[in-house]
Amino acid sequence: MALLKVEHIYKSFGGVKAIQDFSIEANRGEIHGIIGPNGAGKTTIFNVISGIYPADEGKVLLDGKDITRMEQHLISREGMGRTFQNIRLFKGLSVLDNTMCAFDPRSRYGVPGSLLPLPKRYAEEKRGREICMGYLKMVGLESYAQEKPENMSYGYRRRLEIARALTCEPKVLLLDEPAAGLNPVEVGELTELILRLSRELGFAILLIEHRLELVMNISQIIHVQNFGKTIASGTPGQVRSDPGVIEAYLGKEEC
Amino acid sequence: MTLYTHILTQILISVVSVAGVFVLTGMTGMFSLGQAAFMAIGAYTSGILVTKLSAPIYLAWPAGVVLAVAVGFIVGLPTVRLRRDYISLVTLGFGEAITALLNRTTALTGGASGLTGIPKVTTLWSALVSAVLVITLISLFKNSKYGRQCIAVRSDELAAKSMGINVPKVKMIAFLISVAVTAYGGCLYAFYTAYVDPSLFGWKKSAEWVIMVFFGGVNSLTGSVLSTFVLSGLPEVLRFLQNYRAIIYAVLVLLIINFKPAGLLGEWELTPRNLRRIIARGRRVQQPKGVN
Ligand SMILES: Nc1ncnc2c1ncn2[C@@H]1O[C@H](COP(=O)(O)OP(=O)(O)OP(=O)(O)O)[C@@H](O)[C@H]1O
Ligand SMILES: [Mg+2]
Repeated sequence: MALLKVEHIYKSFGGVKAIQDFSIEANRGEIHGIIGPNGAGKTTIFNVISGIYPADEGKVLLDGKDITRMEQHLISREGMGRTFQNIRLFKGLSVLDNTMCAFDPRSRYGVPGSLLPLPKRYAEEKRGREICMGYLKMVGLESYAQEKPENMSYGYRRRLEIARALTCEPKVLLLDEPAAGLNPVEVGELTELILRLSRELGFAILLIEHRLELVMNISQIIHVQNFGKTIASGTPGQVRSDPGVIEAYLGKEEC
Repeated sequence: MTLYTHILTQILISVVSVAGVFVLTGMTGMFSLGQAAFMAIGAYTSGILVTKLSAPIYLAWPAGVVLAVAVGFIVGLPTVRLRRDYISLVTLGFGEAITALLNRTTALTGGASGLTGIPKVTTLWSALVSAVLVITLISLFKNSKYGRQCIAVRSDELAAKSMGINVPKVKMIAFLISVAVTAYGGCLYAFYTAYVDPSLFGWKKSAEWVIMVFFGGVNSLTGSVLSTFVLSGLPEVLRFLQNYRAIIYAVLVLLIINFKPAGLLGEWELTPRNLRRIIARGRRVQQPKGVN
């Protein structure tokens, strides 16, 4: 069964039809690219899938479970991890603690343990730190664990967001323009990272990206959005030669 | 008892309440303008139980705290799901309602003329032990899973939810811890001054605590404690300035906002590690010059 199944979702903001009939089926190990010009509704798709807004119509199934009307934090716990286009890290917390926040909902101690030095608390904190350090290592930030995210470069903050999303132990990972603001070297490293995560962790990845070469290189399936509608979807080769796509998106890119 | 013992005891009692406000305002970013009303609930409940029903103190104080927490739960329930600014409105209304209630129920509370005859139990030492205990509990909380989640919620609620954090629950926990601590401060206070009246617990008191937390640094418990000493100590020590308390606060707050927007200490905490760092730096400075 598909890990993520989105069936005919719609979402409008007043008169703006941000999503009109979007569907997707993503399986374990797949990377799906979502491309389209500014305002095409790409981020809104992620926001609906991850429960920030409810869909006006349609259904979202995560590993067979209907999450369309679930609360956002419960959707996350069902196995949805995401990053944000405009980086949203927690200020006032170290790099490690930013990732710990994504572990804490699963941490097995309660309010008494939070106020008192109970053994259970220290055991769970240790377990969490080990898990988080593992993910920080995976994105190459293990030596920055005690740093403040505000003091790090843009590229490192993007990686920290990915590590934090990984700590949610997602079945589906949503990456919203992870390469935005990165230099070519960093884009190369990011591409490597995404491919490695997809291979090693075996989840489904949805990737919104403006840089065509990045998406085309690593996605198995590409969905092209324009004014809220899907104007094409298929393999990179199919999409590249689609006349509608060339006109709406690629054509503009070339001139 | 000397004047300084008296001032110090009062400051330590304030430290307890401000530490409670720190959890709510400093860590979680929620502004309560009715926090003093929970201090009133603690103070009056324990005071009435002891004076009118001759209940033992070891039952009366916990009863005051438990009642405050129960009331806090009811007040918090509708607010934790709303946008963060609503809590200021709800708690403001609630706080003023409590003051009005205390003024009206004369038979039980003594009304505007206050509740008298409370035994004087709190000493400098019990206030000190209480303050140290509360500070310890709250610094443990700050470094716990819920403490981190409070800071995450303050920083970005939407991102917090996306990471699986149950935002209303975290806000409720912060609110109730803050209420419990403030109510305990109320017990300490009532059994120190031996007298309480409703005018002590208005919104101005709550606002003063919020200012103290901000002055010290929103993410620094050390800062909150320090600023309680400075802000409530200064006007006491400089008696002739008593009438200008509000003005002094305003000036200090303006200075802080202009020159140190993150508060006196910002995010800095007095931890063993940071302390060692300071000492190391001090040694380096003390080294005689010209030896190299
Ligand atoms: N919360 C909101 N309220 C009102 N309108 C919104 C909201 N979110 C998105 N929109 C509108 O929906 C449309 C799609 O926005 P969206 O952010 O999904 O586009 P996008 O494809 O991610 O664009 P970009 O490439 O610039 O990130 C836009 O017209 C936007 O103004
Ligand atoms: Mg977008």
